[in-house]
Amino acid sequence: MKLLVTGASGFLGKHIVAQAVQRGHDVRAQVRPASDIKALRWEGQPDIEIVRADLRSKERLTELVQGVDAVISNAACKAGDFYTQFAGTVITTENLLHAMAQADVQRLVAVSTFSVYDCLKMSDRELLDEESPLDDDPVDRDEYAQTKLVQEELAHEFAKEHEGHVTIVRPGVIYGKDNLWTARLGMELGTNRCLLVGPRTVLPITYVENCAQAIVLAAEKEQAVGQTYNIIDDDLPTHRQYLSALNRHQEPRMKSLPMPWLVMRFLASLALGVNKLFLSRRAKVPSILRPAALHARAKPLKYTNRLVKESLSWSPHYGMEEAIARSAEDINHAALAPESDPVQDDTEHDTDQEVRTCV
Amino acid sequence: MKSAVIGTGEISAEHLKFLADSKSADLVAVCDLSRAAARYAAKTFRAIKSYTDYKQMLDQAKPDVVHILTPPTTHVALATDCIDAGAHVICEKPVALSHDQFTSLWSHAKDKGRALVEDHNYRFNRPVLKIEKLIADGVLGEVMEVDVRMALAIRDGGRFADENLPNPAHKLPAGVIHDFITHLSYLALRFIPDPDKVSAAWSNHQGDDLFKYDDLDAILVAGEKHARLRFSCRTGPDCFALTVRGTRAEVQTDLFHPFMRLIKPRKGGDKLSPVVNQLANGLNLVGASFGNLRNKLMQRSPYEGLHTFLSWTYEALQQDVEPPVTFDDMDRASRLIDQMLLEGNRV
Repeated sequence: MKLLVTGASGFLGKHIVAQAVQRGHDVRAQVRPASDIKALRWEGQPDIEIVRADLRSKERLTELVQGVDAVISNAACKAGDFYTQFAGTVITTENLLHAMAQADVQRLVAVSTFSVYDCLKMSDRELLDEESPLDDDPVDRDEYAQTKLVQEELAHEFAKEHEGHVTIVRPGVIYGKDNLWTARLGMELGTNRCLLVGPRTVLPITYVENCAQAIVLAAEKEQAVGQTYNIIDDDLPTHRQYLSALNRHQEPRMKSLPMPWLVMRFLASLALGVNKLFLSRRAKVPSILRPAALHARAKPLKYTNRLVKESLSWSPHYGMEEAIARSAEDINHAALAPESDPVQDDTEHDTDQEVRTCV
Repeated sequence: MKSAVIGTGEISAEHLKFLADSKSADLVAVCDLSRAAARYAAKTFRAIKSYTDYKQMLDQAKPDVVHILTPPTTHVALATDCIDAGAHVICEKPVALSHDQFTSLWSHAKDKGRALVEDHNYRFNRPVLKIEKLIADGVLGEVMEVDVRMALAIRDGGRFADENLPNPAHKLPAGVIHDFITHLSYLALRFIPDPDKVSAAWSNHQGDDLFKYDDLDAILVAGEKHARLRFSCRTGPDCFALTVRGTRAEVQTDLFHPFMRLIKPRKGGDKLSPVVNQLANGLNLVGASFGNLRNKLMQRSPYEGLHTFLSWTYEALQQDVEPPVTFDDMDRASRLIDQMLLEGNRV
């Protein structure tokens, strides 16, 4: 297949490109005009066609999608204010889908996120799966959740209005080299200390190479059309277990102050009550004290990857210990780049962003 | 009044918040080239309908007032069409890219009996209104000097530093600074309205291709009165400082982090007056720090003046009287910007 991967030089994107090439696909890799991709060593690779384009502009996007069998829409913006993230996640997707409709390209794999779920509506220890409720009023969530929800709506509209063959993949917390910490664990307190919220809460993680493989499989398989898949690895750790695993591979170790889920939930409810009662709910409260955001991050839930495993015959290749070891050491990037020379992993520290933080 | 908004970028949030809460306005439509953006804004701020074609919006929604919040290069064409459709226009700054364009647009609005109002929001921030009151009460005496200074780290990231998709502001006559210069101009002109000499140094200190200029240093002289306008992206932290000096007293503020420092003759005579000033201003500064903490907690931004500006403008439109930003205000600001560009680097 000829696959277009957007956000191709980002944290997840470069692994999607590597997986696609390893599985024998030709890849058109979209990167931003100013991205430095020398370290990825894609230049001169016959299986990889690099196209520089900014998806926030419609200019030349029809050419970008022309002739591909499927598009893996991976570009998104995780930093900056709401309008920066809206442009980098929603406008980019809108422009891409418009170009796909123009070029009559129907197959789309849209990379979404667990952040779209409304955990506030779920009970403790309930199973979160693809049928779990989405957040239909994300006003108290962060910009990322707000914009990713709109992005998913656009993918559904594309399926409806243009007879698009759409698969939505919702990865849990994607971790890997340079992305080992997640805000789901709690809050960093200085350099080597953190508030560990819900130490016994299960962390829905997926290692970036495992996740990339599932995404490429979703693009390949006919049965994935019309499906939504949650992507998480097997044998999920608790917050405490994940931090311990990190500490086995990093120096200095991160010291944690455990904060039980029930205590944190009470504090967030209290903050909301005070905000409502005395401040007309106008006060800006840290996300860890906003129930909608806290429940999305730290609520003790159960998870399943049954659907993605059965439907795509996917099995996470790397377990957590091995994945963290690969992430912590200077990984041999033969698996990332199509040629066997190791390359440095310093291309895009801010992951799959289309644009950077705004003043 | 039936109101509509064209453009749903960052500044639209403030206009739409006002319109969603205002009893004077009924938000009938939101328009943006992006269907997703228009729809999201309409849903968030409870507009009746969203559009991607502003002509269709004018035709179907028939708004009484249109807020034009698009990039500056589009303002004149959009404003002309809105006026032709019978709508009053409230436009983000700069309403036009030259004084000629402005006067021509103004004449068109006048011929059609519609109001054309440029957003001079910082003029309506509380500290500026307080300074105006101090002047009206004679506390400052006659105003002799004004310093307006904006420092913004626009090269350190954000939309103006983005090389992937250069911001349209880079193509304006004064480059990115054109996006801020209206603010500097109307604030200086509020206190020294008719400069007879203008000089300006426009610089691109970093010397790259993305930015046309990254620094402005302008001097205005009106008889024996002086004003200085500064824009800098190489000094920190970010600020929007205003100092007004009169024959009797001087006052300083920062519109991004409001405080008020008033130095005036105090009880205690010439010898004790400086000490009393410092004590009084020290207490004011402590009070301001709590006020700014409250503003941060309650998500109040330096755009507070925009809400006052819009509220007073709607009041004027309903009563069919002159809006708070008058023809003279816009005409002077537009003319000054032209003069500064013409006098560029003749310092």
